[in-house]
Amino acid sequence: MNHSFDRYAGIVFCAIGIAFVIGSTSISTSAYGSNVGANIFPLFLGAFLSLMSIRLIYETFRRQQKQQNRERLDYKRFGIIFTAAVLYALFLEDIGFVISTFLFLMIGFQTMQRGRIWISVVISACFSYGVYYLYVNVLDGTLPGFPSWLVLF
Amino acid sequence: MSTVEYLLHGLGTAMQWHNLVFVFFGVLIGTVVGVLPGIGPMSGVALLIPITATMTSGLSPEEAATSSIILLAGVYYGAMYGGSTTSILLNTPGESSSVVTTLDGYQMAKQGRAGAALAISAIGSFAAGIISLVGLIFLARPLSAVAIKFGPAEYFSLMVLGLLAISGLAGKSMVKALMMTALGLLLATIGIDSVSGVERFTFGIPELYQGLEFLTIAVGMFAVGEVFKTILERDHNDGEIAKISRILPTKQDMKDSAAPIARGSILGFFIGLLPGAGAILASFFAYIVEKKISKHPEKFGKGAIEGVASPESANNAASGGAMIPLLSLGIPSSGTTAILMGAFIMYNVQPGPLLFQDHPQLAWGVIASMFVGNLMLLILNMPLVKLFAKVIETPAKYLIPLIIVFSVFGVYAVQYSTFDLLLIMGCGVVGYVLSKNDFPLAPLVLGLILGPMMENNMRRALTISNGDFMIFLQKPVSLVFLIIGLLWITIPLILKLKGRRVLVNEEG
Repeated sequence: MNHSFDRYAGIVFCAIGIAFVIGSTSISTSAYGSNVGANIFPLFLGAFLSLMSIRLIYETFRRQQKQQNRERLDYKRFGIIFTAAVLYALFLEDIGFVISTFLFLMIGFQTMQRGRIWISVVISACFSYGVYYLYVNVLDGTLPGFPSWLVLF
Repeated sequence: MSTVEYLLHGLGTAMQWHNLVFVFFGVLIGTVVGVLPGIGPMSGVALLIPITATMTSGLSPEEAATSSIILLAGVYYGAMYGGSTTSILLNTPGESSSVVTTLDGYQMAKQGRAGAALAISAIGSFAAGIISLVGLIFLARPLSAVAIKFGPAEYFSLMVLGLLAISGLAGKSMVKALMMTALGLLLATIGIDSVSGVERFTFGIPELYQGLEFLTIAVGMFAVGEVFKTILERDHNDGEIAKISRILPTKQDMKDSAAPIARGSILGFFIGLLPGAGAILASFFAYIVEKKISKHPEKFGKGAIEGVASPESANNAASGGAMIPLLSLGIPSSGTTAILMGAFIMYNVQPGPLLFQDHPQLAWGVIASMFVGNLMLLILNMPLVKLFAKVIETPAKYLIPLIIVFSVFGVYAVQYSTFDLLLIMGCGVVGYVLSKNDFPLAPLVLGLILGPMMENNMRRALTISNGDFMIFLQKPVSLVFLIIGLLWITIPLILKLKGRRVLVNEEG
């Protein structure tokens, strides 16, 4: 168990709980003749969350920190794929499903393991167009198509 | 109509050709999900909800709900079959309820009895599936007949009990589990309040008015979070995959495992009924019991077939048992059933006591389809087990980016919003970091799903009592639920204080 993480997490959770408590004071306290308003539930839970977080913070001080060897995490690979995924999410509607999926898969496959580009190209192309075709033409679903400035299709 | 008539009607529904196709794909995908190490039943079910929603769009609302739930339930119990395959062949459990199977299953595989181990676990799972279904058929209706008499106060307390039970058993720290539950319930309050219509915690952001969609959170936390974990920690399977020579078990194997299968099934079924327990605890208990009553306890861990038969039956029986509180009370008892419940709600079907009255076609159709599905799984798993073993070799290089694409596609197909796509990426990171530090994720998703129901029942009860909180203690049934809930979290605490080791459920 990582104690410093627990301590910071406890502080963050405690802050979230207090934020909900404060937020719920500005919600109307009654509804249509009932004296039970929309504020009670978040008020109680926010207080409960803060209390539990304080308990967690207390626990981290009470127990002794055990030394643990940190494992090495692959931040570079994660960074590339995560950035690509966020960009994929952002531009999905602008450049369409097929193109964005193809690009994301190419980046993803090559980041996971370099090499064998042609296999990656084939899989990405088949998958992105295959899913689009199946979903839009066979199942009659809606996905962002090709961008309007592209007059290939 | 009697139960048998209802069941026959349900069988009629389940045997419609499109539902047969749905069962088949459900159990097939479930087996694959169980075999693939990176993806468990929870993310599997969550990812398939949007796809089934589109596939069933041509059907009437009730038929669509029936077919989708049939498929999703198939994924759930199919994953229990698939999980054993990797445990036995590779010594890495495909999903967490097959952890115990590695103890004896892998040893059997090393001795060249992999085929027998796989066959016994398939047969055991099948027997357990049938036993738990019989239990489901006979318990679900009486239970919902009792539950229908519950008022809002009783319902609120029952949900408190359910949430406490899950927090008490989830993960290593109860405090953390309770925090995650509270956070889930709080996140559920975001959006327009359904009773009074006021907006809460939306900060004027239009995307937040309809609240956080549970599907987005579940896909982000479980599927994307798991993918991020694989990318960061580089876990791959270096283990050698054991060879499968002969599939059919010998007569001696069958004789040795008949009793363990029966014991495991019954034990698993009852553990599955309990909120918070679920398949993982069931398989652990079954293994311990089997070892205790065996005449040769020293054989366990060295390839005893009983050590495969009993836990594998138990985890499958537990997944059947877990359907009972979901269908008859409307309270999910584990992470996966919580996601199934989210699917019910998406189709505007409220699981709970009224389900059997309002949607008998759906309820009995799903139950009957589980018979069909278990039969299909047995047929699929016996001859095709070699094929499924090949699935393990799917390179992570291709699998990981494809799971992200499926998550994006699935969420976008239902929500049509970039905001939700960014939310799954955020939830993926948060989910990974939290679960890495022993914050269990299942209680959060459960809180998110139960939140609105719980709040409405609480406010209804308080309106009846004119704002007096004592109503929860004055109603006897409600009081009993609250006391049980309290005991549920205090007893493990006391046991821990006494220095006893307490088994916990580490799903998600």
